[in-house]
Amino acid sequence: MEGRGPARRRRASRLHPVRLVVLTLFCLLLSGTAGAAAYFFPVVVAGVSQTSQTVVVPPNDSPGVKATPTPAAVPGAPFTVLLLGSDDDGKNKSPLTQSMILVRVDPAGKHVTMESIPRDLWVPLSTGGSGKIDGAYAYGGPAAAIATVERNFHVHVDEYAWVGLTGLIKLIDLLGGIDVFVTNPVLDDAYPDDINGGFLYGYKTVAVLPGAQHLDGAHALQYVRSRHNDINGDFGRSARQQEVLLAMKVKASTLNAADLPDIVSALNGKFKTSMGLDRVRSLLGVANAFDLANVKQIVLYAGLYTSYDHGAAYGGASVIIPHWSQILAVTRENFP
Amino acid sequence: MILRRIAAILFLPMMFAFGSGVYLYLGTLKSKVVKTRADLPTVTKPRLVLPGTMFVVQDGRLFKLKDGGFSEIGGPGDWSQPTLTPDHTRLVAVLRNGYSSDLYLLDLDGHIVKRLTKNDSRIVDYNHWAFYPRVSPDGSTLYYSYDGPKHVDSAPGDDLSIWSMPLNGAQYQARRRTDPYWYTGGDVSPLPLAGTALLYVQHSIDPSTAVHSQIRLQSRTGDLIGKPLTSLADDCSQPALSPDGTQLAMICTGGKQTARLEVAPFNGTSLGPARILIEGGLYASPAWSPDGQALAYFAPSGAAGHFELWWLAVPAVVTASPSPTASPASSASEGGAASSIVVPSLPTTPVPVQVTQGVDLSATSPPAWY
Repeated sequence: MEGRGPARRRRASRLHPVRLVVLTLFCLLLSGTAGAAAYFFPVVVAGVSQTSQTVVVPPNDSPGVKATPTPAAVPGAPFTVLLLGSDDDGKNKSPLTQSMILVRVDPAGKHVTMESIPRDLWVPLSTGGSGKIDGAYAYGGPAAAIATVERNFHVHVDEYAWVGLTGLIKLIDLLGGIDVFVTNPVLDDAYPDDINGGFLYGYKTVAVLPGAQHLDGAHALQYVRSRHNDINGDFGRSARQQEVLLAMKVKASTLNAADLPDIVSALNGKFKTSMGLDRVRSLLGVANAFDLANVKQIVLYAGLYTSYDHGAAYGGASVIIPHWSQILAVTRENFP
Repeated sequence: MILRRIAAILFLPMMFAFGSGVYLYLGTLKSKVVKTRADLPTVTKPRLVLPGTMFVVQDGRLFKLKDGGFSEIGGPGDWSQPTLTPDHTRLVAVLRNGYSSDLYLLDLDGHIVKRLTKNDSRIVDYNHWAFYPRVSPDGSTLYYSYDGPKHVDSAPGDDLSIWSMPLNGAQYQARRRTDPYWYTGGDVSPLPLAGTALLYVQHSIDPSTAVHSQIRLQSRTGDLIGKPLTSLADDCSQPALSPDGTQLAMICTGGKQTARLEVAPFNGTSLGPARILIEGGLYASPAWSPDGQALAYFAPSGAAGHFELWWLAVPAVVTASPSPTASPASSASEGGAASSIVVPSLPTTPVPVQVTQGVDLSATSPPAWY
């Protein structure tokens, strides 16, 4: 009996009020952390699977261009992102990149420059031979797309981000739609009807009317994807893509960390980037900071920067021939 | 031992509840832009009582705004762009149906009186679009934008032209009134004047291939390309003629993604100097009040970006005494809403007043207001 006395005291002392408070706080901290972890679990999974994608870019022999993309070392230093958009509708095992936009972000200067690269631009590909630049991603993934852009445009690409069509629709819907001023009617009698599981090569008519309006994801996609009745063809589409990007920026500037799980689930499998979560987060901060007046938009319109051609030399395809002296001048000026 | 078990039993649900609370609390921190979804107009209370009756559209549904409250009219479908006949007894509206759209004559409760066009086809290429219906001042002729013919030598693109047909007639009687600049999307927003004159918006390109919008006047039926009333560089569109026909409200962008709401005097053949009423926002679809002293238009409000209805008194060039019955009255008498605002009559500096809150009205469907 005497031996049980100290043991009882020890047990009693474990339930001392101070210990009880500490234990309670610990349990609350543990359960709170578990609750937060559960909330951000999709972000963590996506952070592992969709961000910080490693790309090994082949050495670049173009003068004045660094060999491989490396993250900007200095926080706040300007960096260049290659935005890639694909109609990952299943027509091609490896999707083409119908949208390619170089974006230079200057966080300190709060300035953004966008240069759209025509999808049909006929260039030497990093994977060998020549072809339309939208095929680089299909042949060699993001590394080939980056290398092809770096070699031809003499720019250094720090990061890339790729998004699929359905990912774009879901993201815009998640943002509650976007507001754009549609310059002119966008009518297309041969718009691909391939999103909702129909015949992959089916088509339909679409009409986006002019004027300021609120577009949901599906209609925003029609606006950025249509090109058959545009007097500027793919160049007109590029300009519209930039408008939508800026409209998305306006909406993104109001997002915060609590929105990340919804964004991640919306983009599930339809988004890849070399950027880490920290840089994605800092990009949201940049979106908050800069004004639309500090955005420069460049479209390499036919005439000055490019010209149309077609024929056997291009595999029978209609292509866009670059005027490199003009293109490199404007690129060098805006992507130093 | 028993105490520890009891403590453990108490702690576990407490931890579960707290962890769940943290999860739910984080969900409440989402930004408004992600959380905000538009309300149906019928569950909202306008901040102002506008004079007369107005028809607007949200998400393909027609709504009537009268006496400070919304009511839904019409049947199901993707309706848009309602416009009134000059005697204010009928509406003409667009019904989109997937690959095409048609014009319908409706009564003021939205019931279909007559189908005016048949543009749908099982063959995709044979579908057509009809938009922007407007009835001539004498009520006899319907004007609209139509994408036909298309893909033929005389009409290579899918672009819209302005067409007209007898309101009481049939589509085979329709005639093309304008010749669009092909591959720009074409001509939109017809605004028939007295006689056979017509205002409309043409889209065309400049030497740098930038696409512009321009308000044009067609004085005679045979002139397929009208006389420009605004410059290419101003990028003006969405004309709205005041009830007395002396002022033209329009939206101009100057090639930017923001707009100006302007008003210019109109003498039937040309525009005078335009006054900018407001600028720097996404303004759309101005419509004159029945007394011609104010404008209604759509613009987003806040981060959610949904288009709301706004009211703006138009300052008179020559000082005029406003009719007491012309100005919108406070909605306080209609329901005593705390948010009611008393609108000053004809301020010298126009101050936009937000009429609706939390809705998402179609900005490409101008209000039909009488």
